[in-house]
Order: sequence, then C-alpha cells, then structure tokens
Amino acid sequence: MAGPLAPTRTPEETVEEHGDLDRPWVTIVWNDPVNLMTYVTYVLQELFGYDEPTATTLMLQVHEEGRAIVSSGPREKMEHDTSRLHAYGLWASYQRDS
Amino acid sequence: MKPFRRRGGELVARLEPAEVHVVALLLDQLEQLLTAEAEDVAGDPVVARLLPAGHRSDPEIAADYREMTESALRSGKADDLATVRAGLPPDGGTVRLDPDQAAAWLRTTNDLRLALGTRLDIREDTEPPEDLAGEEGHQLAVYYWLTGLQGSLVDALAAGRAGRR
Repeated sequence: MAGPLAPTRTPEETVEEHGDLDRPWVTIVWNDPVNLMTYVTYVLQELFGYDEPTATTLMLQVHEEGRAIVSSGPREKMEHDTSRLHAYGLWASYQRDS
Repeated sequence: MKPFRRRGGELVARLEPAEVHVVALLLDQLEQLLTAEAEDVAGDPVVARLLPAGHRSDPEIAADYREMTESALRSGKADDLATVRAGLPPDGGTVRLDPDQAAAWLRTTNDLRLALGTRLDIREDTEPPEDLAGEEGHQLAVYYWLTGLQGSLVDALAAGRAGRR
C-alpha cells in the first residue's frame, strides 16, 4: 500500500486522535490473512466515514501491528460498531480500553 | 471472467458458465453452514470465523453480544447470499449490480473467501498454486479466483467513491 495512498501520519498519532480517554470502550480490528488490504480500507471508510488517508493508516496498523482501535465510545456503541464490522467479515471485537 | 468495472451507476462483470457453477456451489455450501443446527457445527472454525466472538476474554460479554447481534448478522448474510444468487446469470454472462447489490456481493464474496481461506489454512505468505492437480490445488485456485473477483469489485467501488469527491 505504498504510493499515492501512503499515510501522512504515524499510526500512534491516529489512534490518539480517534481515541478518547474519557470514554472507556473501544472497538478493535484484528489482522487476518484473508481480508484484502483494499477491502479493509474500503470498509473502514464506508462504516466510520474516515477519509482515505485515515482509513489507510488504520488498515496498515492492523496489518503491521496486528490490531488497531477503529472507534471508541460507550459500550452500546462499540457493540454496534463491532456487529457492523462483523457483517463485513472483519475480525473485530470490543473491550474496555486498557 | 471479465473483472468488475464501473459503468455509469452500475458495477459490471462477465462470468463464464463454469465460474457461475462454482460460485453457485459455494453459495449452497455457505448457506448450509449458516443454517445448520448449532450442535452440528459446534467448534467448526469456519462458522467461528463468520460469526466471531464480540469480546475476546470475557465469556459473559461475548454471550451478551451473541444474543443481541447474532440473529441479525445471520439474516443479513442470508439476504446477501440470496442477492448474489439472484444476480448470477445461469448460463454465464453479464453480472450487473446497483450499489446495494454490489454491497451484498462484496460481503458475500468476502464470506466465501473467509470460509475457503479458513478451510485451506491460508496464511499471509500463502502463494497461488502452481500445480492445480488434486483437491487442495483446485480449492486454492478457486480461492485466488474469488480474490480476483472481489478485488476488482472493491477497486471499482473505491474508484467510484473517489470520483464523487
């Protein structure tokens, strides 16, 4: 995923930007060997409204670090986000932010 | 196969008769897995991958999640599967999808790849087969064919979205 779509920020910065310490639950996408990188990027844009650079950064974090936090908020919202990701076959779970 | 591309507001591809036959068979198998009695597929890794746990370490939260979401997840998959089946040209030919149908194809072709990939124990470094002999070589070839089909659909949809900006 190099080239024109290359991320402009580091994954760490992006997670902090989308995380919120006041809201203790997070939705995580885990790496799996089947889902296409282009597909993961597309789904993150589709479900969360991320722009392409942000979605690409999160996808690369999943791919390279094994997981990325894709949303944070109240528990019920994270359940909902997880189920929307499961509908697209992404390997997702939610948990209290550690 | 002629991969998906955007034509006007539609996504269009062409499938050979044998390719339609393979997809139809895979849809039947996916449907059987998703409609099987729970005890018949207990512990099946494909079912576990298609209907994953919502929480990784807390069984109570995972059970809550399953109770709240699983039936909607299953019915969504069944609806998508029916949409793909209805859009297959029986004797091969053109597949023509509106945006909603394209979303259903995207999710179902992904489920088929997840199912096959789990059965075949696909890893990040798995390569397309050089030798198609044998059942496993054949299934790997089908997996990579599906990857090409789904990949073309993702690319066509992503290009369409970029074009709207």
